[in-house]
Amino acid sequence: MALLEVHHLIKAFGGLKANDDVSFVIEKGELLGLIGPNGAGKTTCFNCIAGMFPPTSGRIVFDGQDVTGLPAHEMARRGLARTFQVYTAAGDLTVGENVLVGCFMHTRSRSSAKSKADGILEQMGLKEFRHQLVSELPVAAQKRVTMATALGTDPKLLLLDEVAAGLNPSEIEATMAGIRRIHAELGVTVMLIEHVMELVMNISHRLIVLDYGRKIAEGLPKDIARDPQVIKAYLGERYVREHAAEIGG
Amino acid sequence: MDILFGSIVSGVLIGMVLALVALGLTIIFGVMDIVNFAHGEFLMIGMYTGLLTAQATGMDPLFCLPVAAAVGFVLGVLCYGGFVKYLLRGPMIAQLLGTFGLMLVLRNLALLFFGSEDRALHHGLLVGKSFDIGMGIILSATKLATAVLSILSFGAVWLLMNRTKIGKALTATALNRQGARYMGIPTERMNMLAWGIGGATVTIAGALIVNFWSVTPYVGLIFTMIAFTVVALGGFGSVPGAFFAGLVVGLIMEIPGFWDFFQLSFAIDWMADVPMISFKYTWIYVAYFVIMLISPRGLFGWKQ
Amino acid sequence: MEAIRNALDFSDFPKTDLGVALAVLVFLFCFPFFPHSAFAMATMIQFFIFSLYGMGWNTIGGYGGQVDLGKAQYVGIGAYTTMVCLLRWDIPFWVSMPIGAGLSICWSFIIGYPLFKLKGHYFAIATIATSLVLKDLFEVWKFVGAARGLGILPYKYHPPDFWRLIFKEDVYYYYIIFAFFIVGLLYMNWFRKSRLGYQLRSIKDNEEVARSLGVNVHWAKIKTYAIATAFVSVVGSFHAVYVKNIEPEDTMSLDISILIALMAMLGGAGSLWGPVIGAGVLIPLKSYLKEWLGAAAGLLGIDLIIYGIIIMIISAFEPRGLWGIIEKIRRRRRI
Repeated sequence: MALLEVHHLIKAFGGLKANDDVSFVIEKGELLGLIGPNGAGKTTCFNCIAGMFPPTSGRIVFDGQDVTGLPAHEMARRGLARTFQVYTAAGDLTVGENVLVGCFMHTRSRSSAKSKADGILEQMGLKEFRHQLVSELPVAAQKRVTMATALGTDPKLLLLDEVAAGLNPSEIEATMAGIRRIHAELGVTVMLIEHVMELVMNISHRLIVLDYGRKIAEGLPKDIARDPQVIKAYLGERYVREHAAEIGG
Repeated sequence: MDILFGSIVSGVLIGMVLALVALGLTIIFGVMDIVNFAHGEFLMIGMYTGLLTAQATGMDPLFCLPVAAAVGFVLGVLCYGGFVKYLLRGPMIAQLLGTFGLMLVLRNLALLFFGSEDRALHHGLLVGKSFDIGMGIILSATKLATAVLSILSFGAVWLLMNRTKIGKALTATALNRQGARYMGIPTERMNMLAWGIGGATVTIAGALIVNFWSVTPYVGLIFTMIAFTVVALGGFGSVPGAFFAGLVVGLIMEIPGFWDFFQLSFAIDWMADVPMISFKYTWIYVAYFVIMLISPRGLFGWKQ
Repeated sequence: MEAIRNALDFSDFPKTDLGVALAVLVFLFCFPFFPHSAFAMATMIQFFIFSLYGMGWNTIGGYGGQVDLGKAQYVGIGAYTTMVCLLRWDIPFWVSMPIGAGLSICWSFIIGYPLFKLKGHYFAIATIATSLVLKDLFEVWKFVGAARGLGILPYKYHPPDFWRLIFKEDVYYYYIIFAFFIVGLLYMNWFRKSRLGYQLRSIKDNEEVARSLGVNVHWAKIKTYAIATAFVSVVGSFHAVYVKNIEPEDTMSLDISILIALMAMLGGAGSLWGPVIGAGVLIPLKSYLKEWLGAAAGLLGIDLIIYGIIIMIISAFEPRGLWGIIEKIRRRRRI
């Protein structure tokens, strides 16, 4: 059953179309990757789905209901959580308090929010950091904080925006395991934007590729890796022409 | 009809000065995103400078403008270098309250040195003189001269900002601070320059205003609010915007005049009962509020 | 029940803090028993009043990071409601105080809805503008005494009048405002750990993140603004019966608004003790500077000059206030 359907999504900033007629479906329980070169409109697509701003046109259906243009906090209440690429926390919330904010979404009671937050901190291996400010943590832990915070809202669908960017290989390995665990143990459907190919190719059930705001390919990771359109988008026209034989296109 | 034309003319003339009052604030805001609460106090200092120089030297107050400009420039530079520079590192609330502290200090220094009584100019070439230009409009000579000199000063600053190298560097800093630094513009010195120019323009305005407005140490606040409104209307950081906005706010200040005009010409009795003159400044606050709601960047704004 | 337990739960503070806080409370409780001048008593009452104002401001300004410089309008609404109710209809304080708070909250919703569409400087200046508009209105409104204001004639009542809060001796006022102070402190202790408190701090951190966590940012700000307003309005009502003479200039001027924000900021915005520390330092400083330098030495305004310089120094070098300095020292010691 489809959890999220995106129909003909267009988002224009002035004259620039950041998303141009993008359509796709996420099934319940899926792990979907969204890839594409820099500036392809991946984060814009996330922002439209998450309600950070309304799409210019198109329709978004979440969990069987039309949610086009709903504000972000409303989307969060309906079970859609997201992380942010750049986590700019200049303020004074500690890691534990950050996670607590998400946990407060479904309850007013401090004690139940608190016990839930403790559980998530434990799960994400953040317990030791909980009295520290987010800005004091190493990058890998910061990324885990954004995931933990999002998980506090009990999401049905989790949108992860480049959670592996800037990590070293062993940290990427750990992140990958973390995402798999969220997906398997908590039963959360996951959609991720990622530039780190080893992660996204390994982990995703299915991939969608954006380029210049348009969807240029969709399919299994192994097929996408050999798709000449995708290779062209990433490496340029010339590379494809010169290496035609190796690619086999 | 006389009242209507009189109010319009008076509003336009005062509007020119208000544009000059707000010019400094908008330049400073444009370059470094800080709102200066002490702006009206700078103006008050300009007023005292004009008044006291004129009284001490016996010169006409209009010739004291260079003195006022020099005082303002030095004051602006000192305030920036000695104080505001440190505020910029802190959060916004520290900036707001910090310049409020500056305002308290300047206001009460004036109180300490000059006392709390009203002071006004009683001599000068133009003080008390006026022209009758027909249609019942009487132009006060000081207001007219003030308006003309305001336009000249405004034009001079505009030329400085747009036609000279240093002015262009200032504009570049306002548009894109990081970029300007990469291009080798000393942005720190540009900040100081902005405060210097800001201080100089507002003290000139003060020395002009004192020709027809008496001065006390408390005169600053209302001008700070006027300047905020002009800047909001003109767009935070926009120099040409400040000019047009000054005119509009000048007319807003004449609302009591328009009110009387309507009341008299249409013989609406209840309008006579409203003490509109007490709301002379209220409309300015209302205008600020409404402008910000319609267009949070100001009506002619460009700065993000 | 849980709310009460949370309000009484101070366990996340270090023991030394609680010790100091307890000692201060005991001192405040015993203060009237010590020999003191009437001036000292008045200063103490001012300290309570302004620490409560500061606590109110601290919700929206400190935890929420929305720099509100228009709180004086609610001092005015509270004070004038109580005054008008008492003078015109003989409505006692304990009835007029909630009416005033209700009116203030209504007004806060009316202007809060548009206000919170603005951010940063624009918001701060707009709050000033709304407050000044209200003040201008009160200055010509004959019903509330226009610019001359309203005054209670104490001989018309029979002090001690606990119903209308009319007393001859300040000590009654002292203990009543002391009780308000304790309630305010407990409320703030609950608030900072409540859902709204955390949501607000998350808004201050990053609005986008807060929205993605299900926080209705606009509504959360309006709600908190109303809470801050209620605090200020209630204390404004008290102020009216305490000083017995109110006029627009001394209840609703910009200086009062700024003073309220200063209490919280100089003490440490966004911390429980901040406004109390701020008022504890600033109010005595302000009154005694005025007494010694202004009135005694005849140097008009020099108290405010020193005061201004202190504000300048703190905002330039320690914008997190006195509490920020304490925390910095602690952090250094831990590392």
